[in-house]
Amino acid sequence: MDTLTALAVIALAAIVHASFQLSVSVVTLLSGHSAGKRDAPGKSLRLVGAFLAGAITTTTLLTFTALYLVHALRTLHSSVTVWAVICAVLVGVGLAIWIFYYRPKQGTRLWIPRAFARFLDMRVRTTTLSAEAFSLGLTTVIAELPFIITPLTAAALAMYALPAPLQLYGALGYIALASLSIVIVVVLIGSGHNLSHIQRWREHNKRFLQFAAGAGLIVLGFFLYVSQVVTPVVVAGGAL
Amino acid sequence: MALAIDVVKRSGKRTAERFDRKKLHASIYATCLSVKSPDGHASDMADHVCNIVLSWADNKTEVTSTDIRQQASRALTSVHPDAAYLYKHHKQII
Repeated sequence: MDTLTALAVIALAAIVHASFQLSVSVVTLLSGHSAGKRDAPGKSLRLVGAFLAGAITTTTLLTFTALYLVHALRTLHSSVTVWAVICAVLVGVGLAIWIFYYRPKQGTRLWIPRAFARFLDMRVRTTTLSAEAFSLGLTTVIAELPFIITPLTAAALAMYALPAPLQLYGALGYIALASLSIVIVVVLIGSGHNLSHIQRWREHNKRFLQFAAGAGLIVLGFFLYVSQVVTPVVVAGGAL
Repeated sequence: MALAIDVVKRSGKRTAERFDRKKLHASIYATCLSVKSPDGHASDMADHVCNIVLSWADNKTEVTSTDIRQQASRALTSVHPDAAYLYKHHKQII
């Protein structure tokens, strides 16, 4: 995989990661509850900022853990079988996003079990300290791991293909792009945008986001299949 | 102020409780504040919605919490659509 292709794979995987909505949903609720409790604007922003810091911290830890594991198991990178499995999972998760990432009916209800959603709602209501908001940020990213893990693995394998000095930049670029959606929402909330407008926009565009995330993973899966599975096999066959 | 109207909970698992105007007022007030309404305006909106819901519930002995929510969001829509949207969809965000 050449440098440009690896960077493109990292960027696409990060954009798909950014389209996952649990953190955005929770930060929207957190901001609403904080304003509803008549918290001072400074406190409200502190909570939202702490949540954002928690979400970015988990994304950073997960990205570097994935990159470390790819380094530790470096033989995986050249294994056609491993790439084939990753491509299949990418396509499978892409289809899963199309089928059940959002629940039917109104609102932006996500795939997570209802009991867990109620628990998160309850935690958000009772959050009054920055430390709680920070840990909530950590938790929501971990809760989306079933979807995040695939683009993250593909990105980590692409990072490994970069020249050593570029790997750090590749990881930082992934983290920045993957956190972009929640950063945008936090900036909108901080700059005084109405929560109901933000939530309306999310609801109106949820099907597009769902389609784009699923399609992104499927395209990534097919692309990697052709470049990392089919091409090496064909080249090896031609050399015989 | 608890009125002699029983409120049956949405899931049906919890026992019914008496209608509490204060509780409804607090939830509408908090919703209005969360869409950046000024304090006094939020309180007025909550009073307005509570009055409408009470007049709807006046001749009933038992209502469901879902009915109250629907009536409240209908009353709020006419005076504060943004708050009504959040009130109505609050449980559908996550």
